[in-house]
Amino acid sequence: MIRCQEVHKRFGRLEVLRGITFDVAKGEVVVVIGPSGSGKTTLLRCINHLEAVNAGRIYVDGQPVGYREVKGRFVEKSEREVARMRASIGMVFQRFNLFPHLTALGNVIDAPIHVRKLGRSKALEAGRAMLAKVGLGDKLHAYPAQLSGGQQQRVAIARALAMEPKVMLFDEPTSALDPELVGEVLEVMKSLAREGMTMIVVSHEMGFAREVADRMMLMDEGVIIEEGPPAQFFNNPRHERTKLFLSKIL
Amino acid sequence: MSIPFPSLDFDPEIVWKFLFNSVILEGAQRTIVVAIAAQVLGVVLGLLSALMRMSKNPLLNVPANLYVWFFRGTPLLIQLLFWYNGVPQLFDNPDITRELTSFRVAIFALGVNEGAYMTEIVRAGIESVEAGQMDAAKSLGMTSAKAMRRIILPQALRVIVPPTGNEFIGMLKNSSLAFAIGLMELLSASRSIYVVNFKILELLAVASIWYLVMTTLFSLAQAELESRLAVGVRERPLTLFGRMTEAFGTARARFR
Repeated sequence: MIRCQEVHKRFGRLEVLRGITFDVAKGEVVVVIGPSGSGKTTLLRCINHLEAVNAGRIYVDGQPVGYREVKGRFVEKSEREVARMRASIGMVFQRFNLFPHLTALGNVIDAPIHVRKLGRSKALEAGRAMLAKVGLGDKLHAYPAQLSGGQQQRVAIARALAMEPKVMLFDEPTSALDPELVGEVLEVMKSLAREGMTMIVVSHEMGFAREVADRMMLMDEGVIIEEGPPAQFFNNPRHERTKLFLSKIL
Repeated sequence: MSIPFPSLDFDPEIVWKFLFNSVILEGAQRTIVVAIAAQVLGVVLGLLSALMRMSKNPLLNVPANLYVWFFRGTPLLIQLLFWYNGVPQLFDNPDITRELTSFRVAIFALGVNEGAYMTEIVRAGIESVEAGQMDAAKSLGMTSAKAMRRIILPQALRVIVPPTGNEFIGMLKNSSLAFAIGLMELLSASRSIYVVNFKILELLAVASIWYLVMTTLFSLAQAELESRLAVGVRERPLTLFGRMTEAFGTARARFR
């Protein structure tokens, strides 16, 4: 479902991604961990082309992201094409990024109506269902400012899901939350995983990772140090760097 | 008014006499119409120019920067005179010249000038919206144009409206410069009376009173509008950063 080949990304002189190659199969849940600055967020942002890669290729569901293949050569896609592709890649941010001038329901139905051109009544119906699914059926008309962090993040997840994405990217979704609120968001993510959503989750929630990840991945300084199923990754890491990192956070 | 200034020739009765004079009232009305029209033009130009300035494309940001530099850097009075005298010469056509009335030229010149100042106000408003908003909008499949229209600008308005209100108050007063191109606005109206009866101070007082009435009424309306805009959204989302700044009560937390 997602394929990264030798992805490089540089910001000015700072090389953030130095040759990332990995695949994510449909329905797989990959949890990415690593120290700050390792490039985890940048990797997610490259997958949905919020950042353009400097070298390498990224494919989502077989389609190259950001570039179109024309007669064997790669041509940069227009903004409209990139936007269309992004509509099927859902992203959840550390700081939620809800639209403060819209209610919870408003946030969820805005893109389906204005991007997918869904009719208003259909979008409302789907929106209500989506918010109920994340446990916020009674908060449809609340503004983000009136919701707790955990509630806001759940609205953000509902908002991303409302676009029926093929893939969901989570960038440290619980890092900005009070500890008591983390659980409710992780529950939503767990049920999403159980339903077979393809997910890449950047997180430090090891309990969640152990329970739900099909594969763990450690990144450091722009490269993938190690990857593997959680059982092997946590109990029997192969690389020194992995062992060091795990010892610090477990 | 001989006490306390014996040499001052000022008769409040004359002020009262001309306060509701029809020529004066017509002038005041024209001032309001020109100010509103010019401000609207200024906001539209300012919005376009701000977006152009923020673009990475030099074909867009260079003309916008030149526009702002030139129209903020030269006196408004000179701009009014230039447009009024210069544009007809471009066409050298009596029919067109006849259409270029003081009224229309004043609105155009005031609007173009205002646009240069509005550019900065709009840009500040747009930049006050967190970068994450554009990220979220794009990740939902919106193009930057759609995101700008639906997500960024509505939020930017909260920061754009208060200074725009101040600009409008300035516009009400700046419109008086259009007397130099023959527009019969409030100042011209009072001049047209005092050149006949020589009661300069009294008629200027009449004009000043009306300017004060207009600017004061508008200030009150603006205060009301601002408090209404703040009702729907009380504060920014309570992110960790937001909570920290709230706790320390910095200007950042209060700034909308």
